[in-house]
Amino acid sequence: MKKLGFAILTAACALSIGSMRASAADTKTAAAPQPKIKVGDTAPDFKLLDQNFKTVSLSDFKGKKNVALAFYVFAFTGG
Amino acid sequence: MQNFQANLKRLEAADTQVLGISIDSPPSNGAWAKQINVDFPLLSDMDHQVLTAYGLNKEYDIKGAKILAARRMNYLIDKEGKVVEMQVDNDAIDPSKVVDVCERKKLKE
Repeated sequence: MKKLGFAILTAACALSIGSMRASAADTKTAAAPQPKIKVGDTAPDFKLLDQNFKTVSLSDFKGKKNVALAFYVFAFTGG
Repeated sequence: MQNFQANLKRLEAADTQVLGISIDSPPSNGAWAKQINVDFPLLSDMDHQVLTAYGLNKEYDIKGAKILAARRMNYLIDKEGKVVEMQVDNDAIDPSKVVDVCERKKLKE
C-alpha cells in the first residue's frame, strides 16, 4: 500500500513538473541572435507586398522620407 | 502597430513613413489592418528574406510548436538609408522614442 502511495505521489510530481515545463515553454523563447543591422549601418533594401498587394520598397522613400520600419511577431497580436 | 497608428500624424508631419513588417500573408495583414484601423503598409515577408537580411529570425514556442517569426524591432532609417535609431524586443512596443527622434530631426532640417 505504501509503495502504491509513493508511486502515485511520484507520478503526480512528474505530471506537475511536466505541466510547469509546458506552461514555461508557452511563453519562453529561445535566445535570439544579435540583429545584423545596427545604428549607423545602411538598411538593406527590400521589395515586399503590403496588405493591398501593392509592392513597397525601402528605396521608394530614399531622399524623400525617413522610414520607421516596425518588425512585429504576428498579426492579430498586441504591439 | 496600434501604437504607431496612434502616432501616425506626428510621424507623417516629421517626414516619416511607417512600414510594418512580419511573416503574415497580405490577406492576413489586410484583415488585421482593418480590425485595428491601421492605414500604413503592413508588409509581408513570408519567405523570411528581409528577416534574414536584418538578422531578425526568432524561434517562438507556441504550445509546443516551434515557429520562426520576426523578432520585435523598430528601426528608424533616415532619408539617406542609414539606421539612426533602433529599439529591440519589449523596448520596441512604445514608439515614442522614434517619434521624438523624427521630430528633433525635422527641427534641425
